[in-house]
Amino acid sequence: MELAWLIPVLSFIAFPIIVFWGKRLPGGGAPLAIGAIAAGFALFWVALLGFLAATPDTEHCLTDAATGTLACNFQRAWFNAGLPGLPDSVALSWGMTIDPLALAMLGMVTLVALMVQIYSLGYMKGDPHFGWYYACHALFAAAMLTLVLADSFLLLYVAWELVGACSYLLIGFWHERPAAREAAKKAFIVTRLGDVGLLLGILLLWREVGSFSMTAAFELAHSGEMSHGVATASSLLMLLGAMGKSAQFPFHVWLPDAMEGPTPVSALIHAATMVAAGVYLVARAFPIFQYSGDALMAVAIVGLVTALMASTIALTSTDLKRILAYSTISHLGLMMLSLGAGGYTAALFHLLAHGFSKALLFLGAGSVLHSTEQQDIRHMGGLRKAMPLTALLFSLGAMSLGGIPILAGFWSKDEVLSAVSHGLHPVFIVLALVTALLSALYMARAMFVVFFGPSPESEHHDHPVHDAPLAMAAPMVLLGVLAAGFGLISFNWPGSFGGIGSFLFYHEPEGFHFTWWLGILSTILAVAAFAFGYLVYVRKSLSLEGFRRSFAPAIRVVERKYYVDELYQWVVDRVVMVFSRFIALFDRAVVNDVLVNGPANSARRLGVAMRLHVTGHVYSYALVMALGAAALAILWWWRVA
Amino acid sequence: MVPLTYFQLLSAALFAIGLYGVLARRSAVLIVLSIELMLNAVNINLIAAASHMDGVGRFSNFDGQIIAIFVITIAAAEVGLALAIILRMYRNRATVDVDEINLMKW
Amino acid sequence: MQALDQAALFLIVLAPLAGSLLAMFMSRDRPKDAWYFAILVAAVTLALSIYIFVRYDYTAGGYQLSRSFGWLGAPLDINLSLGVDGISAPLVLLNGIILMGGVLIAQTIKHRTRDFFVLLLALGAGVFGVFIVRDLFFLFFFYELAVLPMYLLIGVWGSSTDFGTFLRTKEYGAMKLMLYLVAGSVLIWIGILALYLEAGQQGVSTFDMAKLSDLARDGGLDPTVQRWIFPLFMIGFGVLAGLWPFHTWSPDGHVAAPTSVSMLHAGVLMKLGAYGIIRVGMDLTPAGAEFWMPVLIGLGTVNVLYGAISAMSQGDLKYVIGYSSVSHMGYVLMGIATLHPIGVAGAVLQMFSHGIMTALFFVLVGAIYDRAHIRDSHILNGLFKRMGVVSFCFAIAGLASLGLPGFSGFIAEFMVFTGAFQSDVRLGFVPMALLAGGLGVVGAAITAVYILRLLARTFFGEADRQWAHLTDASPVEKGVAGAFVLILVVVGVWPEPFLRVINVSVATLLEAF
Repeated sequence: MELAWLIPVLSFIAFPIIVFWGKRLPGGGAPLAIGAIAAGFALFWVALLGFLAATPDTEHCLTDAATGTLACNFQRAWFNAGLPGLPDSVALSWGMTIDPLALAMLGMVTLVALMVQIYSLGYMKGDPHFGWYYACHALFAAAMLTLVLADSFLLLYVAWELVGACSYLLIGFWHERPAAREAAKKAFIVTRLGDVGLLLGILLLWREVGSFSMTAAFELAHSGEMSHGVATASSLLMLLGAMGKSAQFPFHVWLPDAMEGPTPVSALIHAATMVAAGVYLVARAFPIFQYSGDALMAVAIVGLVTALMASTIALTSTDLKRILAYSTISHLGLMMLSLGAGGYTAALFHLLAHGFSKALLFLGAGSVLHSTEQQDIRHMGGLRKAMPLTALLFSLGAMSLGGIPILAGFWSKDEVLSAVSHGLHPVFIVLALVTALLSALYMARAMFVVFFGPSPESEHHDHPVHDAPLAMAAPMVLLGVLAAGFGLISFNWPGSFGGIGSFLFYHEPEGFHFTWWLGILSTILAVAAFAFGYLVYVRKSLSLEGFRRSFAPAIRVVERKYYVDELYQWVVDRVVMVFSRFIALFDRAVVNDVLVNGPANSARRLGVAMRLHVTGHVYSYALVMALGAAALAILWWWRVA
Repeated sequence: MVPLTYFQLLSAALFAIGLYGVLARRSAVLIVLSIELMLNAVNINLIAAASHMDGVGRFSNFDGQIIAIFVITIAAAEVGLALAIILRMYRNRATVDVDEINLMKW
Repeated sequence: MQALDQAALFLIVLAPLAGSLLAMFMSRDRPKDAWYFAILVAAVTLALSIYIFVRYDYTAGGYQLSRSFGWLGAPLDINLSLGVDGISAPLVLLNGIILMGGVLIAQTIKHRTRDFFVLLLALGAGVFGVFIVRDLFFLFFFYELAVLPMYLLIGVWGSSTDFGTFLRTKEYGAMKLMLYLVAGSVLIWIGILALYLEAGQQGVSTFDMAKLSDLARDGGLDPTVQRWIFPLFMIGFGVLAGLWPFHTWSPDGHVAAPTSVSMLHAGVLMKLGAYGIIRVGMDLTPAGAEFWMPVLIGLGTVNVLYGAISAMSQGDLKYVIGYSSVSHMGYVLMGIATLHPIGVAGAVLQMFSHGIMTALFFVLVGAIYDRAHIRDSHILNGLFKRMGVVSFCFAIAGLASLGLPGFSGFIAEFMVFTGAFQSDVRLGFVPMALLAGGLGVVGAAITAVYILRLLARTFFGEADRQWAHLTDASPVEKGVAGAFVLILVVVGVWPEPFLRVINVSVATLLEAF
């Protein structure tokens, strides 16, 4: 199990090798990155089996009182801040915690990363910066895996920032395109604003706990000795960080723009892994959030608002990748909502199921983009014939997330709804069901328009549309299997395995609980939504024109994404930059020209006035000197007398 | 013995003449000569005082004479330097009239 | 080894000083020779600085490699006492590295090359002197020795820039820098004399810093007097550290200075100020320092935010970096003002890390300016296409400056914040320190804004045709930039070799509080 430290380190080693020697390596360095992550995936199984065999008596392992699960901790010294031994010093370590939460994330991240990297072999073929692409992927994998393994808030923050930087580099991968450049910048800055909160939250916790260790902080919260105010303040601040990373309202604006990056990147970073880090953070720091209580309510509200808002925008968007991006935001909102309701297992289960399904959807979208070079769904249609495999897999992913029974998304979404109905005010479950309906609707729209609807005229004539090549198809198939069947691990199967709730839980193992009325209701909603989509977009037997006309103003607001981007732009242009220009001008005009040059100029003017007495004639100086000497002599004589 | 006052009067007179020369003369050479005159006025004063003040208070016979010798040495050096400057001045500007040489302003 | 230990500190000042004097006698017509000679001298000092840093025994702590050469006896008691501790050892190393880098980068100096190196080496000697000397008189002497060559280096080899609405000539930059630093040193000198006289009243008439420090620690110095003396040091040295509102000499100096002078200016010269506040202000007048720290932490916070916000709307690359230096030096001042072992250690590490990072920035800006003859980031664009290595390194320096983990700046800033968040334990200005720490974190986010905007508009994207002629970095530039990047990463990933040295001396320093 201790070998798990190799999982991120292998990818980390691959990074500089590919950067410096990528061009000379076979395959541009890609096999190295893929090999590193594949080894990581293998090591994940080693760690998992090791963990399953471990008991509280195993060395390094114990039952964590704050979460009630077994956790194994391994540490190596990193650096000391302050002289060791003094009361004000703190020793920081490279530490990893292996517990169910970390293992679940580890498995998902290594698997999706491996699939996406293999897929990229086909997708990025022939790109001039192929090696750099894989180097960034390796670095991202290393950072993301460090993030899920980290046992201290400091290390988590380190990895957190690094995944952000990788996301920046990969969104801006085609930096010649102004949109990609702007999107990369926006993504980094917006998440960075959230990270201010995260770092402040971490520092506040350090002030209270005196250590950056997560276990110590959770212990303190669990024992009730932590100040309630500090717990609330720091968890709200950390929530800001999570909102930035997981693109929750009002920090969601960067994620849709981030679709300017290569599509496999969107699949890995902006759908399955990095954006889920916010949810992971809240789940990881759950003992503190729960201790605060108020913070958990804030999580729920943020999640609900985000889920609703994003799913409405997804319905009006016409860009295939942006639809998926808004869908991601919406589902992340649902996970947050579930955490806010106390549905720990449900949220993480949904995180995993969504990760597989959404990665599949993005890879499918990538496959479409790759062959049609088209991103706008208004120019697509009937692709089912040209690319049957992609169509099948994409539909599978869409239906899974739309909540069609027995696919993975159905079970996980149902768990989330069930948690919400148990844990929160009825308003939440009503709005959550609305979100579920909207989610099924936009998925149906995307799937039917692109693959099943009538193909628009005069398209695809210049380049023949083809289905995904093997390197791209294989990962999609595997993810498709998971998107379809992953839900099965939630049941209490006969035998030793008690469902995911018996492995991944908070305090008490949870059995599989299915709330019948919710399950049936959500099934009806999902099926109805897909049927509606079929009628509207494929059979064209229903028309939305009347609806569009009567609600035109409202639809425009949604189409313009509730004007949030415009608001940000206004603030940046009219407030931030104006203020900055004011300060710069102040610095030059007031601090420099008045306070610095002012005295200098006064001195010069004084000199100009006083130089007139200087005649330059040696005898006038001599006269003054003589008079001065005489005056001194007289003065001295006076004093003596 | 000639009273000290006489020497002091002589010295004062020489000094005043020298001072007048420094202030009133235009020629740099004459100014240097006048300075020499002032220095020698001081020397007379010092030596006279030395010979009269021997044993009075903490003064000894040699103090004034030692200083006088210092003054002579420095005067020699000073004349050398001053003449060198005047020579350069003359070479550069073809005059030693200090009215013409008023570079030391502004 | 014994002999080298005895001589190392003396040699590290002597080598550049003697090099400077010897270079005066070299031929004016063979500039290459002067460059080679300066490289040789810089290599010797770099080797010595590495030796000193490695040789410093962090388990023992205190001052090491000490030597004292008597000069004036009582009652002045001025001696050339040398010694390094854990605070000065990293800075000695920093100066060795930056001096070497500066000399290498000065390859492009074509005008009066020999004289340039004479002054540059004298500057380096002065900086080394300040870092290792243990006597107030010689500290001041070396301080002036470090400051004076700056005037000529900027005034003779600098460049004038017309910004449309205003003009910044090299003479203006040089004059302003000089007047500011001399004004600061006047305050310092008054402070030193006041300290000498006050200590003399207590019967310890000396310029020896060790004795004065002991006196202050034993409570021999009247706290009221200390409160009067400390602000002299705080502002006097603060001017050099870019303390707001005495910072404007710094960006203007950068705009006028040639590349290698900018490197030394931001890389080490500004560190002298912060070092002086620690070494003279905090160590010799602790009670005064304790009294004034809330002011310093406030000014440090203003530095961070003001510098970052100003940098956001600057167009000239050197102004951006210059104001960013002001902002980053704010973290140093903030860290010092926390009076917390983690915060102060963070400040010292930030001095090192910022020195390397800013030097790297200036190498790259210089490389761009040498080729494009313009530094306006609104006119330059698409540099990645033409100058791949330069742009790549610039992106790395940018990421380091916005505090990305994995680079040394993150560790340092993080420690400063950590210190600020707990400094109330020692001091009792809770809201102030929390606010400062919080605003410091915000400052790091603002840094991200201006750095990323700069990267997006100047480095990424398509290049205009007018930049088609730009060539990538020369081998020397690549080597220097690569070495700096490597240092940033190594210290960022494994800061322990630095921190264990810094920690021990910071702990000693803070015993007085």
